[in-house]
Amino acid sequence: MNPPGTWKEKLAGSIPDELGREIDIFETQMHLRQQGKLDEKIFAESRLRRGVYGQRYDNGQRFDGSQTQQLRFPTGDLTKGPDTLWDAPGMVRIKIPFGGLNTAQMETLADLAEEYSDDILHVTTRQDFQLHFVHIEDTPDLMRRLAAVGITTREACGNSVRNVTACPLSGVCRTEAFDTTPYAHGLAMFLLGHPDTQDFGRKFKIAFSGCKQEACGLVSMHDMGGIAAVRVVDGVEQRGFKLYVGGGLGPVPYQAQLFAEFVPAAELLPTAQAISRVFARLGEKKNRNRARIKFLVASLGIEEFRRLVAEERAILPYDPRWTAYLGDLSGHDETPLKPAQSLNGAALPEGFAEWRRTNVYAQRQAGYAVVTVALPLGDITPSQMRGLADLTRRFIKDTVRTTVDQNVALRWVSEADLPDLYRGLAELGLAAAGAGTVIDITSCPGTDTCKLGIASSRGLAGELRQRLAENQLFRDEAIEKLHIKISGCFNSCGQHHVADIGFYGNSRKVGGLHVPHFQVVLGGQWTENAGSFGLAVGAVPSKRIPQVVTRLADSYLQDRQQGETFQGFIQRIGKKAVKELLEDFTQVPAFTEDPSLYRDWGDTRVFTMGDLGIGECAGEVVPMVHFELAGCEREAFEAQLHHEAGDYRLAYLSAVSAMAHAAKALVKSQFQDVPEDQGVIVSEFRQRFFDPELHFDRFSKSIFAHLIRAHEQPLAAPTRDQAHQHIEEAQLVIEAAYSLYDRISAAVGVPS
Amino acid sequence: MDLHRIQLKFYLNPPAHLSPEEAFRAFSAWIPVTPDQTLVDVADYSHLPDGPLTVLVGHQANYTLDHSDHRLGLVYARKQPLEGGLLQALVEALKACRRLEQEPELDGKVSFAGSEFLLVANDRLRAPNTEATHQALAPQLDAALARLYSGPAALSRDPNPKRRFNLLVRTEASFAVADLLHRFEQAA
Repeated sequence: MNPPGTWKEKLAGSIPDELGREIDIFETQMHLRQQGKLDEKIFAESRLRRGVYGQRYDNGQRFDGSQTQQLRFPTGDLTKGPDTLWDAPGMVRIKIPFGGLNTAQMETLADLAEEYSDDILHVTTRQDFQLHFVHIEDTPDLMRRLAAVGITTREACGNSVRNVTACPLSGVCRTEAFDTTPYAHGLAMFLLGHPDTQDFGRKFKIAFSGCKQEACGLVSMHDMGGIAAVRVVDGVEQRGFKLYVGGGLGPVPYQAQLFAEFVPAAELLPTAQAISRVFARLGEKKNRNRARIKFLVASLGIEEFRRLVAEERAILPYDPRWTAYLGDLSGHDETPLKPAQSLNGAALPEGFAEWRRTNVYAQRQAGYAVVTVALPLGDITPSQMRGLADLTRRFIKDTVRTTVDQNVALRWVSEADLPDLYRGLAELGLAAAGAGTVIDITSCPGTDTCKLGIASSRGLAGELRQRLAENQLFRDEAIEKLHIKISGCFNSCGQHHVADIGFYGNSRKVGGLHVPHFQVVLGGQWTENAGSFGLAVGAVPSKRIPQVVTRLADSYLQDRQQGETFQGFIQRIGKKAVKELLEDFTQVPAFTEDPSLYRDWGDTRVFTMGDLGIGECAGEVVPMVHFELAGCEREAFEAQLHHEAGDYRLAYLSAVSAMAHAAKALVKSQFQDVPEDQGVIVSEFRQRFFDPELHFDRFSKSIFAHLIRAHEQPLAAPTRDQAHQHIEEAQLVIEAAYSLYDRISAAVGVPS
Repeated sequence: MDLHRIQLKFYLNPPAHLSPEEAFRAFSAWIPVTPDQTLVDVADYSHLPDGPLTVLVGHQANYTLDHSDHRLGLVYARKQPLEGGLLQALVEALKACRRLEQEPELDGKVSFAGSEFLLVANDRLRAPNTEATHQALAPQLDAALARLYSGPAALSRDPNPKRRFNLLVRTEASFAVADLLHRFEQAA
């Protein structure tokens, strides 16, 4: 047998030179870091820009249910970035522009999941793939094997242009203006590694939609997004985009603002370049939590932002790549493998009708359909992926698309082939019905693998999926259309703001023990490109969320008016009524009475860092601060009611007041007689906590900055959006106050 | 053949069953009390019934309650070099099976068949799914099987080139995991 050589040798000639060189450089940096010859921060930025992330336990610690245990990695203290131990297996994010994959790429992804990760491929909410538990030493070869099939992980993470997403129906949609695929691909390739995108203070996400009214590419929640539009100039049809900027989810969501009614296709790339330059030049760099372009657009105002971009555009040196790709728009056209044929009375397998009803979309090309393969929690095994590649070759030629619902779409399926395709999918365990319905729940990784996760979003999503699928209530046509989305924390990776029913993880302390909770966020809009955001109505223990969903669905079904959407229903009955509807779920019994509430989904450990002894001793005592913070939550909720009633000034004032009272609760722990005057409260808070960063964690500064800013920059006539933002900020400040008080209590050794 | 990325799957004795939740509890309990290895986390994939149901992720090796070939078993997936090679990997896999068999919470309801296991070379570069790989691996494998069974074992391979190199090893006689481990200890 010949010597095995290396993947680098084996794949020589298959990897584009530039990409090959970059991977070699990364490998060298990895070796230098291993020898202590490269600074950990520099290596961290380098690996992040190549899609190599840390995971939850990479700081070498794990809570085992009673105490935090040190994980003793063989290389000891060697790190690959701040607080990220060398041996700790991490995540690799793999960019898939517009979600487009061919069968060779599918098989390579399957191979890599088997050889380097834990045997699972995960589709993300931005059409990427993620592999978890990958060892850093394996990443250069992993990148080479991807590069050999035309995939890069470059700029999948870090402060860069992330994956450019697009509607998975592009090119076959019945309502699109035109196929956005070549434009999404053209822009993605143009901005990849572009010098003007290398100095951002934060990530930059781009999306494309073919039409306005559907969810499509979710343009409204992106840093930049284009909705396909056509206009006629001098009798000639011209393609272009209605261009939006400054949207984003995160802790405080912003709706994107209209940048231009029509940007001709030839101007798309230079406009994006000019926007990148303005963002790189003027965007926040020091405070990560204010560094997304949404904050820049909001602070400058869209008019001034437009002016600056126009100014930048005027001085851009000409680049032939701006339009070169337009000469080959048909290069991305997909064609069918089989002729268009209808079903024509073929024998149908069991379960086919239901699957067809929910998972099959009739293309605008008659006789062809898009089949959505529903992946539970976005996960697929390597064997399933390989089987899917085989089915792709057998029925539709060579390409599929990932979706923002964490599924895979097979396009150009001849309708006559649907039964056989269904049978093939069933053999792979991939024929579950319910794609795009209420049971097709989106979730971020949450506490399973994410360092920031507070509660188990995947655990909850898995549980809900199973329970809802078994409950007839969720088969009702009105309920089936709802979207449920779950984030493990307030950072919104699960896109909870744009769901009918959304959740994000948090925790509350009861009797000295942490209880995993989810904040309930209702009334977001998935359609109209994520047209509006929901608002929080209260936190409920994680284990009671299935009951919450059932009660909400039941109530909607019973009390809705003719043709009323869930969003309309929530608006009509009002947040106060909704809060009352869920009130009984919020009460948490003592640990001894119901310990199950103190454990998260899919985890056998007790959620809290404390132990039962302390919890029992403190069980009868509720600290005064908790009463005060509960009052702040009530105030923030009242702000929502004012917002709902259209009184944006009162909503804004209530939100600002809630923030001030959260600060007051903390100040009172040091200064009992703090007066009611908000100016004094903020001043005291600033002096005692904010400036010295007393017991702050890495999020505290930026979150409490909302309070300081609200006080220093009062708004005389807040708009609807500004009031909404302040309500979101108030919610964050209250959560941060709870956390800060926990840390204060731990530091002084009293139960919190 | 220098190959450390080896996976060994031992199957549960029917009708023994181990649920993903039970495996999750057991694996979680192993993390703080296994000082000779760095065990990191437990991943739950029970929503994929024909896949890796529950994975105990470690630095040196992963342990997986696995149903990917539609048969329930425990996979020991070595990731780092191991002194003793394939033979020692077999010992480690059997020890993990035995540990589950003896897990107090499982109350003796789990037992593994020692007479059959699936070997997968998790390295397509060094060990493609070919007869040449089989030949290269044969000396180590023969020696390990001689120590393990001291009798004939049937080997079968799925030659699908898209699959990793794999061998299903079966003996006619049945063996308990405890007996096989005892045999190793005596020979050591």
